[in-house]
Amino acid sequence: MALTIMKARLKGAQKGHSLLKKKSDALTLRFRQILKKIVDTKVLMGDIMKDAAFSLAEAKFTSGDFSHTVLQNVNKAQIKVRSKKDNVAGVQLPVFESYRDGSDSYELTGLARGGQQIYRLKENYFKAVELLVELASLQTSFITLDEVIKITNRRVNAIEHVIIPRIERTLQYITTELDEREREEFFRLKKIQEKKKKIKAETEALIARRKIELAAQGVRTQEHASNILDDNEDEDLLFD
Amino acid sequence: MNSVNFNINFGYLEGLCRGFKGGILKQTDYINLVQCEILEDLKLHLQSTDYGSFLANEPSPLSVSVIDDKLKEKLVIEFQHMRIHSVEPLSTFLDFITYGYMIDNIILLITGTLHQRDIRELIPKCHPLGSFEQMEAIHIANTPAELYNAVLVDTPLAPYFMDCISEQDLDEMNIEIIRNTLYKAYLEDFYKFCSTIGGSTTEVMCEALAFEADRRAFIITINSFGTELTKDDRAKLYPRCGKLHPDGLAKLAQADEYEQVKVVADYYGEYKPLFDGAGTGPGEKTLEDRFFEKEVKIMMSAFMQQFHFGVFYAYLKLKEQECRNIIWISECVAQKHKAKIDSYIPIF
Repeated sequence: MALTIMKARLKGAQKGHSLLKKKSDALTLRFRQILKKIVDTKVLMGDIMKDAAFSLAEAKFTSGDFSHTVLQNVNKAQIKVRSKKDNVAGVQLPVFESYRDGSDSYELTGLARGGQQIYRLKENYFKAVELLVELASLQTSFITLDEVIKITNRRVNAIEHVIIPRIERTLQYITTELDEREREEFFRLKKIQEKKKKIKAETEALIARRKIELAAQGVRTQEHASNILDDNEDEDLLFD
Repeated sequence: MNSVNFNINFGYLEGLCRGFKGGILKQTDYINLVQCEILEDLKLHLQSTDYGSFLANEPSPLSVSVIDDKLKEKLVIEFQHMRIHSVEPLSTFLDFITYGYMIDNIILLITGTLHQRDIRELIPKCHPLGSFEQMEAIHIANTPAELYNAVLVDTPLAPYFMDCISEQDLDEMNIEIIRNTLYKAYLEDFYKFCSTIGGSTTEVMCEALAFEADRRAFIITINSFGTELTKDDRAKLYPRCGKLHPDGLAKLAQADEYEQVKVVADYYGEYKPLFDGAGTGPGEKTLEDRFFEKEVKIMMSAFMQQFHFGVFYAYLKLKEQECRNIIWISECVAQKHKAKIDSYIPIF
């Protein structure tokens, strides 16, 4: 019975191992994709930041120093970030999404000078911020995935190199024990049979000896001892 | 106020101003600057010009903002020297020039106070040419209306507030609209003042101020497409002292897109060539650049006449343009983005 339990456990361990391996492969695939996207985004980021910084210089050239006006007028953010959860092979990955909230409070900045440059500047920096948000969500999922992949691989290896061999060894031990017990049982039976044979032989020898003795004494011997319960004929009964 | 008596009171200052004008960077200087690879080279080249060793005491590494501050500081010192040594009516004239910067400072202080920023942080950010005595007292007010009643009413800008903005408007209006309304009142006032001085000053200054007014009208119109600024509000921001008044301004107020603005400009001989060939493509000069060029040309022609106050205004404007050019070249050098480094406005 323990054997059946152990066999079931071995089967469970093997199934778990294959499932985990599949999960680990799926996660690694997604990991590689994210890595590639991160590299591309970072290169693009460098270019966009350069453009944005240059458009800032252009705007400053045309409209003078508007940085203080902008800084003083700040009250709430125009771009906000929402976070969502994305499920990949059972792993919850955070994904950030940017959205514009509220109207542009700096619409009229540079009304008299440099408005077009300031508009272009705003567009460039919007693009840069959106790219930054995307990069941020890619990097968080990268780190999370990394952790999960490590854990999953650890589990896969543990099952493969520790649990399954342990179960197999236990199984082996059980089978050897059972075999031994069977052998013991067999041996015991054999021994008992021998003993019985010996006892039988002795009793027969004894009976034969007694018979001869009794015959020598002139006593009638009977093969059987009478059994009241067995024999149906009873001498004492007259009418039957 | 004629050529005979001019030199008695103003000859020294005019001579000084022309001297400063002679120190403005020439084309050869700009060619040298454009070829610099790092900001230290720029500093080296500037040392051989009129700027001398103005950057000598700055710790390396140099940054563009440091250069910007030092350039402005030099300009402010020169202007204030001339202001201090001037007598009427030149001193009023020079004061008028500073009102423009004062408007910017006041707008900055109003915005800061509205958002409860500390006044001590805002004062250093103001333009030094536009400082006035009541600047420190602004923090006592919490709303723009209070600000006006307590502080601004004593400044020389008070009449501009009175003409155009009422108390409720101060609280509700967008800060940029306040700034442009004030600037319109200032330009018209300056124009009137110059007309009373007479002589060559009136000729030179009125032409310069008319150009500034028209330029503002065009730029405001173009920049207000697609924003929440209504046509009526926009019409209130046009200064009326330019050549566009009254017909051009009326047409501009009705314009809905760039093409219509161009049609208005075609009526006026001076502005038609500016709009031709101006565009936002990569190889073309933008409209703003062309306005800058025209401004530089008008300012240069101011120096052709003698015995008038226009030279001071022209000198200030040219020096400012030069500062912008130098900063532009420094930014291109610092960011290693030399594609558009030649987009500065050459003066000589």
